[in-house]
Amino acid sequence: MTATQSLLVVLFAPLLSAVLIAFFCRTRHGLASAISVAAAAAIFIFSILAVSVSGIDTVHASSAWLQFGDFEINKGFFFDGVSKTMLVMVASVGFLIHVFSLGYMAKDPARGRYYAGLSIFMFSMLGIVLADNLIMIFVFWELVGFSSYMLIGHYMSKDIAAAAAKKAFIVNRIGDLGFVVGIAYAYWHFGTTDLEVMGQIVGANSDMIHAGIAALLMCGFIGKSAQFPLHVWLPDAMAGPTPVSALIHAATMVAAGGYFLIRIFYLFPPEVLSVIAWLGVFGAVYAGFCAYARTDIKQILAYSTLSQLGYIGAAFGLGYPGIALFHLITHAFFKALLFLGAGSVIHGCHHEQDIFKMGGLLKKMPITGITFFIGILALCGVYGLSGFYSKDAILIAAGLGDPSIAILLTFGALLTAGYMGRLFWVAFLGQPNSEAASHAKESPLTMVVPLIVLAVLSVAGGWLGYWPEQLGGIIKSDKHILHAMEGYDAMHTKIIILGTAAWVIGLAISFFFYGAGAKEDRLAKKAAPIYGFLRSRLWFDEIYGFYVEKVQQRFALFLSFIDVFVIKGILVRGSAGIVGLVGICSRSLHDGNLHTYVYWFLAGVILLWAAASGLL
Amino acid sequence: MTDLLFYVFAAITLISALLMVVSPNAVNGAVCMIVSFVTTAALFVLLEAYFLAVIQVLVYAGAVMVLFLFIIMLLDVDKDTSQLLKDKMTLGASIVGFSLLVILICAAFAGGQHLPETALLPVAENPTGEGIGIPFTTSAKSYGYSLFTKYMLPFQVTGFLLLSAMIGVIVVSKKHSTDS
Amino acid sequence: MTVGLNAFILLAGLLFAIGMLGVILRKNTLVIYMSLELMLNAVIIALVAFSRYNGTMDGNLFVFFIITVAAAEVALGLAIIVALFRLRQTVMVDQLTSLSR
Repeated sequence: MTATQSLLVVLFAPLLSAVLIAFFCRTRHGLASAISVAAAAAIFIFSILAVSVSGIDTVHASSAWLQFGDFEINKGFFFDGVSKTMLVMVASVGFLIHVFSLGYMAKDPARGRYYAGLSIFMFSMLGIVLADNLIMIFVFWELVGFSSYMLIGHYMSKDIAAAAAKKAFIVNRIGDLGFVVGIAYAYWHFGTTDLEVMGQIVGANSDMIHAGIAALLMCGFIGKSAQFPLHVWLPDAMAGPTPVSALIHAATMVAAGGYFLIRIFYLFPPEVLSVIAWLGVFGAVYAGFCAYARTDIKQILAYSTLSQLGYIGAAFGLGYPGIALFHLITHAFFKALLFLGAGSVIHGCHHEQDIFKMGGLLKKMPITGITFFIGILALCGVYGLSGFYSKDAILIAAGLGDPSIAILLTFGALLTAGYMGRLFWVAFLGQPNSEAASHAKESPLTMVVPLIVLAVLSVAGGWLGYWPEQLGGIIKSDKHILHAMEGYDAMHTKIIILGTAAWVIGLAISFFFYGAGAKEDRLAKKAAPIYGFLRSRLWFDEIYGFYVEKVQQRFALFLSFIDVFVIKGILVRGSAGIVGLVGICSRSLHDGNLHTYVYWFLAGVILLWAAASGLL
Repeated sequence: MTDLLFYVFAAITLISALLMVVSPNAVNGAVCMIVSFVTTAALFVLLEAYFLAVIQVLVYAGAVMVLFLFIIMLLDVDKDTSQLLKDKMTLGASIVGFSLLVILICAAFAGGQHLPETALLPVAENPTGEGIGIPFTTSAKSYGYSLFTKYMLPFQVTGFLLLSAMIGVIVVSKKHSTDS
Repeated sequence: MTVGLNAFILLAGLLFAIGMLGVILRKNTLVIYMSLELMLNAVIIALVAFSRYNGTMDGNLFVFFIITVAAAEVALGLAIIVALFRLRQTVMVDQLTSLSR
């Protein structure tokens, strides 16, 4: 079986599963879940197969899809090292989350639809991972947006879920506008949108890099990966089921933006890179502050995701796409672990999501608690765990590149440790604070086993030496570049000290400030204005809401007025009216009076004569 | 002398035509028309087309106009009581007609090539004409000759036309029997 | 005779215009028809004059055909008018408007 054939199975197995479930199994929930999990397993097995068959070679298989004269759109696979790494991550995390869903969604009345949504999401995501040209990426980009919409709005009866789904889709679309214009610009500029060919063109002649193309394509990344200013959809997307939040809004979809940037890294001039870096830094610190005012466990994790996406953006903006990919992968592991742990907690506490109503869960749900703590440690960058290696690399790169970014990111690490510590001490230690929490018990095996596997991956995922040689080539090369830079060793020690200090101080302060198993937020009690300011999240939602309501709606009404009166009234009805007028005038010729006919005859003769004599 | 004759006959033609157009009584109009045709025949004589002059009087003035008179008297139409130049429609119409007239005359005398005031050519007595056009003669023989050589096809077609006109007249003027 | 071609053309033109006036102004169908014949007559005069001044017979010959066709046409046209009179009892053009609209 060649690599291309394996990739075809990988791509189309989830599509087949989605189609089968959508048409036949919407009410047969057991069958639907079996098909979906089987498809996820098939994806995992065949992606391993594809990676091992293709070795370290790049597989580029493409064929024509549409052709209009000169313009052609291809479809194909571009399976290089970056894509292999991402594929293995998406396949493994996807499979684990499918297994987790078996337990979490066991009592959901609409789980047939849910599994169809998961399958179509896997299809779309794998399309983005494997696609070889920008237009194909865009098609799957939009499909991912659609799957996300479907899955966020899974609890159809809840208005908040429907609104959140709409918001996610619309905000993504705003980014996609820039994306589409960028694709058109790139096609016009390079004559092709094929990733490999564009890389070769730019490699041969670096003058072909245009800041405009890069900036426009960056808009897609800003929308999909929830960078500032289009970050507002991610916290609201937590209205979907928790496995969805784990898969889409932590591990894969939001990472798709970063993955896409890494694929087109060669298109970026330094100005655009620095914009991305600073957007990332701002997002990282801003989200860190916002997480302190959240009491919903999923919202805290959502802001943590926003923060880490900022780190990925910063890593890319500093010029190290490999390190961005590294952090993307380790983040997928420990964030999926954290979200699934939260899911297990929510499931155990009968859908209680407020951390101040939990408490003492470590005793009731030990495996969940321990794996959750491992996830937190990985997130904070404790030495030896996966998060440490990637975060460390980012901080060193920042330190060697732009020290102000390093300081801000380290401060961000301090904040991260603080709010994650707050979460853990309040929810897992101390005494149960509610009925639901006191009756909590450990989740079933289908939910616990993925947690354990992800915990292992969170611990061991950063040990690059053990990675197979096909994966992570770009990561290793970026690390070599960093190692080779001067001042590396001094910066390395400095960052290790600062990083360790950050998480130790963060965890300690949050323990002493909030207290184990607290019933209420101490910050809210002691410093209500600060708490209120943090809770406001800088009023982005309000500003956008105001803009949409007051500015955009009025403009839309104005356009609707033009549409009804000018286009429909004057142009369409008017042209029909003109035709009618011509008809009426022609009809008036037929008045039965002989003399009228003679006049018209005479007029015709004069016209002919004038034409013949050259007057006309 | 012949010039004077031309002017006289031309004047009579025009005046009688005008009288025909404006006379309220249709019979009067028809008779004026006959006068106009007869003076036209006189003009043909002046142009040395003797045969045509005779044909004009016999056929046009003698048969066609008499047929007109028959029909007018058969249908017994009343006098045309409308006041010709009173309503706006006719006023406009007369203006249009007059402007056409003016334009026609201007077109005839204006333009690049001024038609030279040619005098009448001396006639040729040779009836059979070879070359480009059959030369002008005054004898009826040349009419016959051209009709049966150069204009044979139109001659036959005209015969056919007369046949179909005859049949058409019979069909159109048949009274339909009331039992069908 | 020193009268030139122009005089004959002028005469023909005037006659044609008078005929046109008759067609436009009169309401009696028969008078309109007679004016049409007047127009044909004007054309005949012009043709004969041209034929004489160019020294050929073709114009005269064509007059033959015009007279023939005019005769046939008059016969048929009058038959139609008679049939119309039988139907409508009028030959006034302003009362024969059933083709309107």
